[in-house]
Amino acid sequence: MKLSFWQKNSEKIRNFVIILVLFLITSPILVGYVWLILRSFSEDLVNGFVPTKLTLKNWRFLWQEIKGYPNIWQTTLNTALLALGVMGIEVLITSLGGYALSRYDFPGRSSMMKFILALHAFPAISLMTAVFYLLWTLRLLDTLWGVILLKASLEVPWGTWIMKGFYDGIPWELEWAGLVDGYSRFEVWRKILLPLVKPGIAVTAIFAFLSGWSEFVFVNTFIFSQNLWTLSKYVKGFIGDYRFADYGLVTAVGLFYMIPTIIFFFFVSKHMIKLTIGGVKG
Amino acid sequence: MPSIRVVNLKKYFGKVKAVDGVSFEVKDGEFVALLGPSGCGKTTTLLTLAGIYKPTSGEIYFDDVLVNDVPPKYREVGMVFQNYALYPHMTVFENIAFPLRARKIPKEEIEKRVVEIARKLLIDNLLERRPSQLSGGQQQRVALARALVKQPKVLLFDEPLSNLDANLRMLMRAEIKHLQQELGITSVYVTHDQAEAMTMASRIAVFNQGKLVQYGTPDEIYENPKNMFVASFIGNPPTNFLKGFSVEVEKGQTILKRDDVVLKIPKELETNLKEVVVGIRPEHCEVVHNKQENAIPGTVYVVEPLGRDIIVNVQTDRGELVKVFGDPAKIPSVGEKVFLVPHLEKIHLFNPETEETIL
Repeated sequence: MKLSFWQKNSEKIRNFVIILVLFLITSPILVGYVWLILRSFSEDLVNGFVPTKLTLKNWRFLWQEIKGYPNIWQTTLNTALLALGVMGIEVLITSLGGYALSRYDFPGRSSMMKFILALHAFPAISLMTAVFYLLWTLRLLDTLWGVILLKASLEVPWGTWIMKGFYDGIPWELEWAGLVDGYSRFEVWRKILLPLVKPGIAVTAIFAFLSGWSEFVFVNTFIFSQNLWTLSKYVKGFIGDYRFADYGLVTAVGLFYMIPTIIFFFFVSKHMIKLTIGGVKG
Repeated sequence: MPSIRVVNLKKYFGKVKAVDGVSFEVKDGEFVALLGPSGCGKTTTLLTLAGIYKPTSGEIYFDDVLVNDVPPKYREVGMVFQNYALYPHMTVFENIAFPLRARKIPKEEIEKRVVEIARKLLIDNLLERRPSQLSGGQQQRVALARALVKQPKVLLFDEPLSNLDANLRMLMRAEIKHLQQELGITSVYVTHDQAEAMTMASRIAVFNQGKLVQYGTPDEIYENPKNMFVASFIGNPPTNFLKGFSVEVEKGQTILKRDDVVLKIPKELETNLKEVVVGIRPEHCEVVHNKQENAIPGTVYVVEPLGRDIIVNVQTDRGELVKVFGDPAKIPSVGEKVFLVPHLEKIHLFNPETEETIL
C-alpha cells in the first residue's frame, strides 16, 4: 500500500491544525493575562513585554492606604458580602422556585415560564432610572443590601430556569416513593430531591457568586459612600477620567480582584463538566 | 390486614379520563392483579390506592374506613415501582431504613429490622453499597425490602418485574408470590403481562381504556372471557378470531357458515344476530391433513418450534393467520394444505359490533 505523506499523517495534521486554530483564537486573552501578571510585578515594561525591574511596589495597596481610596480590606469585605448575599438569596429562591415550576401544575405556569425567559433577555441597564427611584423610595440607595437585592432579583429568573431543569431530571417515582415511605411533601423535597439537585445548586451558587463579585454598574450607580465600595469600583477609580493612570497599580489590583474567580474555577470546573443526575435505572 | 373496596373510582387529568368508573374489592390478604395494556388506567388506579393521586370522584375504603383524603404517610402501604425508585444518594441500608426513620423508631430497632428483612431477601451482603452499584435484580430486592420493612398493611406493585430479563422475571415471580402468601399482606399488583397476572394472582381485574372490563379468578377469565378484548389479552398466543360467520339456529344445534366452511355447534344459541365472530384458543384446535366435517381449510404459513410443542401458523382462505399448538413429532411443511378442526364445545362466539361474548 502506498500512501502520501499527507495521507499517512492525516490524523496528526488534523489535530495540529485544530490546536493551532484554537491557540490563535485564545492568544489575545492569554497575552492579556501574561501582560497583566508581568506588569503588576515590574517597574515598567519595555518593548511591550520585557520587565525592567521586578518589584512589589505595585502591590502596596495591600499594606498601605492609597490616598483618596478606601481601605482595600474593607472593600474586599464589601465585595464578598455582595457576592455571598446574591448567592444566598438566589440559591434559596431558585431551589424552591425551580421545584414549584417543575412539579406543580398551577394556573399560569406556562405563561410564567415564558415570562421568565423574556425577563432574562431584558437588558438590566434599561431599568436604571426606575430602579433608582425604587431604591430611593425603599431607602436602600447607597446600601449594599440595595445592590444585593437588585442583583439577586435580576439573576433569580435565570437560576430558577436552571434549577427547574435539574428537578425535571428526577423521576416522579422517587418523590412518590418518599411519600409512601411516610414523609410529607416538604420532607421529601428536603431529604430526597435537594440532595439530588446539589450539582444544580452548585452551578447556581457559583454563577451567582461570580456575578455578584464582578458587579460594577449597579455599584457605580447606586453606591456613593467610599466605605461601601466594592473592588470593581476600586479598580475603576484608578483609570478614572481626569487622572493619570498608574498601570502598575491597576494591574496589581486587577489581579488581586481576579483571585477568587480563578480559585473558584480551579476547584469547580471539574465538577461542572460532569454534571449528571444518576442513580435511577430506567 | 385490611380489605380494600373501590367504589366507582374516577380520575381525570384535564379531559383525559384515565380511570372512568371502576369498582372492585380486594379481600383481606388477597393477591389481586390489575391487568391491561399501557394507558388503560391500571397504574393510575394503583397510585390513587397509595394516596399519591386524589380521585376525581368515587370512594376508596381500607376495611370500612374512607381513605380518599388520607395522605400516603398514614395509609400504611408499601409500594414497589417499575424503575425501583431507590434513592440514589443513599446506601442500601439507608434506603431500607428510610421508611422506618420517618416513624421515629429507635436506632437499634431500625438496624435490627433492616438486617432481618435484608437477610430474608438475600441482600444482607449489599447493605453498604449504593443503588448504582447493584444489578437490576438486586435493586428489585432492595425495593421489595424497603416496601416490606415497615410491615405495611397493603402492598402495591407497579409492574415490578418488567425491567428484569426473562429468567429473573420467572424467579422473582415465584418469590414474590411465596412472600405474599407467607406474610399474608393484602396486595395489588399492576402488570401488562398476562402470564404474571395468571400465575401470581388469585383474582385478575382486566382494564381497558380506563374501565374495568372483567374481574374474576384466572380460570374464570381464561375460560369465560367477557368480550373479545379479554379473550385476546389473556392467553399466549391469544385467542384467534375468525370474522363473518352467518348464524342459523336449529333444534339442538347452531350452524355457522362462511364460504364453504360449516361449523355445527351442538347447542341452541339464543340470539337474533345474523353474523358472529368465532374465537378459537390455540390449544382448542387440531391441524389435520384430510378434509372432514367442521373443518376450516388453510395453508401452513410458518411453524414456530418451542421445544415442548410447536405453534403452527395457518392462513385461512380469507387470509387470517390462525395460531394453533401442534405436535412436535409431526411438523407440517410450509405451504402444505391443511384443515383446522376446532373443539366445538370450547369455541367462543362474539357479537361483531359490541364485541361482547355471546357463547
